[in-house]
This record gives sequence, C-alpha cells and structure tokens, in this order.
Amino acid sequence: MSIGAEPAEGTLETRVWAALAEIDDPEMPINLVDLGLVYGLDVDEGTVRLRLTFTAMGCPATEMLMGDIRDRLLAEPGVESVAIDIVWDPPWSSARLTPDGREALLAWGLSV
Amino acid sequence: MEPADSGTFEALLKRGELIESPSEMTPDYLRELKHTLIVSGDTELISAPAYYLAARKAPSVNAFMTGIAIIQDELAHAHIAYHILEELGESQEALIFKRDPKAFRYPYAFDVPLESWTELVVANAMYDQAGFCLLGDIHEQCSYGPWKRGLVKVMAEENFHLRNGRNWSKRISQAGGAAKGELQQAVDWMFPLTVEWFGLPDNLKQHSAQLDYRLKGLTNDQLRQQWLSTVVPFMESIGITVPAHREDTQYVLDYPFPCTFDAEQKRWDFNDACTWDDVMVRWRGRGPRNAEMVALFQESFSKFQVRA
Repeated sequence: MSIGAEPAEGTLETRVWAALAEIDDPEMPINLVDLGLVYGLDVDEGTVRLRLTFTAMGCPATEMLMGDIRDRLLAEPGVESVAIDIVWDPPWSSARLTPDGREALLAWGLSV
Repeated sequence: MEPADSGTFEALLKRGELIESPSEMTPDYLRELKHTLIVSGDTELISAPAYYLAARKAPSVNAFMTGIAIIQDELAHAHIAYHILEELGESQEALIFKRDPKAFRYPYAFDVPLESWTELVVANAMYDQAGFCLLGDIHEQCSYGPWKRGLVKVMAEENFHLRNGRNWSKRISQAGGAAKGELQQAVDWMFPLTVEWFGLPDNLKQHSAQLDYRLKGLTNDQLRQQWLSTVVPFMESIGITVPAHREDTQYVLDYPFPCTFDAEQKRWDFNDACTWDDVMVRWRGRGPRNAEMVALFQESFSKFQVRA
C-alpha cells in the first residue's frame, strides 16, 4: 500500500487487488478477496471495473460494501473511477473461499 | 442442586476460573448475574422496536435491509441473554411478555423516539458503540462461562452496526446543507444521553458487586472514557461537533454532568445542572416511547396462546 507521497509500488492491478483485500466483511473476520466475492477485475487507464457478487441476494450490506470499495479504490493513486458489475451467476458458495479465507472462518468457529 | 458454599465459590473466582453452572454459585452471585443479564437482554430487545420505528424511514431498499438485519441481530442478542436467564431458573415468557413496561431495565436513551434514518444511524454510531464497550468488557472479563462464550458472535455483529452508523454518518455529513444540520441536531441530543448510559460516576458509586464478581471488569467512568475516546475523534473527523474534549489522557465534558433534559423537545439545558437523584427520577419514570415499544412485542402474545 502506498502512503502519502511515497511512490506507488507494483502494477495498478496488483495494488487494486491488495486494496480490496483490506476491506473486511462487516460481520466475519475475513476480507472480500478471501471470501471470494470478487469474480474479476479489469483496469483500463484509471478506470477499475470489477465483477462483484454477494453471499446472498438478501445481503443487507451490499451498499455498505460497494461504498467501502469505491472509497478505498478511489484513494489508490492512479484510480480515477470505479465501476462495479454485480454478478449472481455463478452463485457464490463456500467453494469460492481462498485457503486463507477458509482458515480464517474455521478459526472463527464457522464450519466451511 | 444445592448452591455452592461461599468458600469454594470464592476460591474459583479468585483463581480466575469460569463459573459454569448454578451449582457453583452463591445466591448473591446468582442474583447479580441475573440482574446484569436482564439489563443486557432488555437493552437488546428494546433496541429492536426503537430501531424498527426509525428504519421505516430508510432511504433505499438495501438501507432498509441493513436496518432490518441490525434489528434481527439485536433480537438474537436478546435471545442469548434471556435463554441464559431461563437456564438460571427465570421464565422467558414472564420476562418478555408479562412485565410492566416500566419494569424493563434498559438505558433511558431508547425511550426517546428515533424518528428518522439520520437518528437511526447516529444511534448505530453512538448507542451501539456504548453496547460494544459494555459487552466487550463483559466478553473479556465475565466470570460466567456460558455468557462469555455467547458473546463471541455478538461482538462481531455489533461491528456491523457500528460500521453502518459510521459510514452513513460520514455520508450524511459529506452531503452538507440541511442533511448535515439534521445530523448535528441528532448528535446534540443523543451524545449526552449516551454519556449518561454508563451510569453514576465512580465517585458516587462506592461499591460494585458486578466488579467484585467479575461480571464486568471496568468501572462506569472507565467505560465512559472508552466510549468518549472512540466517539469524540470520529465525530470530529467527519466535521460534527460534540460537547467534549481531550485533556491529556482523559476526555472532559463541556457541560455540567448531569443536567436537565426535555425528552419531548429532545433538548438539553446545559445551563441547568441537576443532581443524580433528579436523573434517577427521570430514568425510573421512563421516557415517551417506553409503553409503545413494549406494546409492539407484547400485544399479540396472548392472542395465540392455546388454552389448556
């Protein structure tokens, strides 16, 4: 992560992934990337377009998460706009968890 | 089973071990534990109608879903406390459905109507922060094992409520104009109500059985300071003023504590200091919304009871 006037390190795409991994789920100790909510992203010049899903259609935190994603990515040097496509197909399942994510949820007491 | 003799009980407590069942408790500990659980259960339960009556004003479908999800969490948290009370010999039915509204033991703040989305999110940012401080302390310190363990997920869920409160407060402040004015107004009456949430100052409260029994670990003033140390910097960071400031390591209130409050007008009179006896009279009399909120969950109960 770049701080203040330090030069940003890594490609913009790498930094965007790292920035997304700083955003935690509102209720579980796991970040959005490890939870497997980000289906993919494209970086074109300063525009980030990402494909995002939620664990349930009734997720009460969709606006909260999208707001947090926008705020965080727009704070990243080089990002000028953020477009979020919400994807429901394929539906999210626990198979989308990364190994780190699975470990975090198991440690928290959730069977996954 | 017979209650534990006080020697065995004291030894358990002194060793920092957890009490796991009524057979390990003295009658005094049981009474204090039940009292603490009732305050906690009542607070979570009453927050549901209080928040619901404001969540109806949500500005979007997902915001309404967020409000409803928070209410669902609060009901679940209440359920944890009442369930433990039942295991300790109390009747959930009597506690929830048969008690007089004035007999509920939740902070007075909830009796003052939350009437807009703005007031709801300020409640999430300030009331839920108070709950977070109090429950966090119980989660860390509580000597009663079943409650301590039950609070693991409660704390995670309270985080969600805080995040909703903070995200929205920030967003409303950024919107500026009348929206920010409404936010400031909500903070003006809700901030001192949350400050008094933590109860009597330590210099007036000589003795706490809750501390002796390790049902909690921090004093009223310590918890109040913890709350101020998170809420004051947050509100200032989003351009909202609060009547408190930091001096060295402590936060100091910029108004007489306690002072008089007009619940109908939602207005504090910082020029009219009062005594804690006056505050106790206000608390015991309960506030404007007490009966309406209790009726919300009590009124249909008897309708569907199957008579033997």
